[in-house]
Order: sequence, then structure tokens, then C-alpha cells
Amino acid sequence: MSAEDVYNRISVLRAERGISRKELAAALGVHYQTIGYLERGEYSPSLFLALRIAEHFEVPLEVVFSLRPFPRLGSG
Amino acid sequence: MNGWKENWRQARVEVLQSDYLPGWYATRGRRRLLAAAAAFGVSLFWVDAAVAWISGPGDGPVLVNIVLLTISLIVYLPAVSLLNIATRGVVELSERDLDERQIGERLRATALTHRIMTGVLIVLLVVVLAVGIPQKREFFVPGGAFVLLVIALFMTHFVMPLIVSGWRLPDPPPDDDA
Repeated sequence: MSAEDVYNRISVLRAERGISRKELAAALGVHYQTIGYLERGEYSPSLFLALRIAEHFEVPLEVVFSLRPFPRLGSG
Repeated sequence: MNGWKENWRQARVEVLQSDYLPGWYATRGRRRLLAAAAAFGVSLFWVDAAVAWISGPGDGPVLVNIVLLTISLIVYLPAVSLLNIATRGVVELSERDLDERQIGERLRATALTHRIMTGVLIVLLVVVLAVGIPQKREFFVPGGAFVLLVIALFMTHFVMPLIVSGWRLPDPPPDDDA
């Protein structure tokens, strides 16, 4: 793990809510490719964007973002 | 009512968000080929200036100049247009049409371009001094060559951020999977 890696569950939350990248991007006011880069972990958002993503999904920030990899579902 | 400036801005945003000829910039290798083509197009401006300088004052090899500039534009214009679409206008659009990732990418490309242009200016200075110092007061740059050198320098400065941005661009994620 590099010192600056930020893990996220955007793709899981997006799939759960059934919204596309373009819809999420439009709601957040970013380019849809930025959502893809975020999901692939190739871009770490600013605090402002991270808060807006959490607010959009109506969950606390730490549900979406973490400095450690999220446990896989069913791994206990 | 939107003014013509606003209409122009929106039209540019729409064009640069379109997927026109995606096969030309779908992979990093192809984008780097486009960046190399744009760099080649600009390099011909430098060759043209060098030819004008070497041939000295007077009309010079006008046909060579025309051929070089024509080849340059034939390569340069499509390459730059496709690079602008591939980068989604990261360099071309105003900041209010970009998100924070794109603005960050533009800043990185601009910073790298600044270093490259510093190198270009140093090389140009060294060449001018290397040619000029031995000739002392006899040294002069023909007017036509000087104009072409300024144009080459301007074109390089103008397009380098786009070349750098296109060269660095990672493969975008698949368009949608929802």
C-alpha cells in the first residue's frame, strides 16, 4: 500500500443504488471519466468532492472512503 | 439570452465531449502516436526556420518553405484536433468547464511544459550564441528566418501542453457499466 492510497466503495454504492457513472457524475458536477478514475483508485478526490460523494449516497464519509482496503463481502 | 461567447463556449464543450473517431485515440499507444505526430508537425516549423536561416537573405527556397509548411499543417491539424478530443479539452477549455481532476491534470501538464520550454529556450540560446559569437559583428539572422523562428517558438509554446497531456493520459475507464 502506498502512503497516499485512498480506497473507496463508490462502485459498490453505485451498483447498489442502480445509478450509472454518467448519472453520478452529473449529480456531482464532475466529468463521468473522473468517477471511473475514482472507482479504479487512480485518482483521490479532494475533501470537498469526497464529502459531496458521501452526502450524495447519504452515508458517513468513512463508509465510502478508507485509508485501508475494505474487507470483501462475506469475509467476516 | 446567451451571447455569442457563451454559445461558442458551449459548442466547444460539446465538441470536446463527443466521441468523434474514438478508434484513433482509444489506447495509450495511439494517443502517444498522435502526440508524436503533433510534435513532428511543430518540428517542421523549426526545420523551415532553419532552412530559411541557412539559405540566407533574399527569396530563398520558397518552394521548400511552402512544402514544409503544408506537410506540417496536414499532420498537425488532425493530430491536434484528435488530441483535444482524447483529452476532453483538459488544455483547451476554461477552468469552469473542468472538474478538479481535470484541473489537476492541466496543472501537471503545464508544469511539465514549462520545464520542456525552458530546455527549448536554452537550446535556442546556445545555438544562436554558437553561431553568433565566432562571427562577432558580422552576425545577423535573416528577417524571414527570424519571423519563422518566432512562429516555430510560438507554435511549440502553444501546443506543448496538449502534447504533454495527450502523452501522459492513462486509458480512460469503460464508458459505463451500470
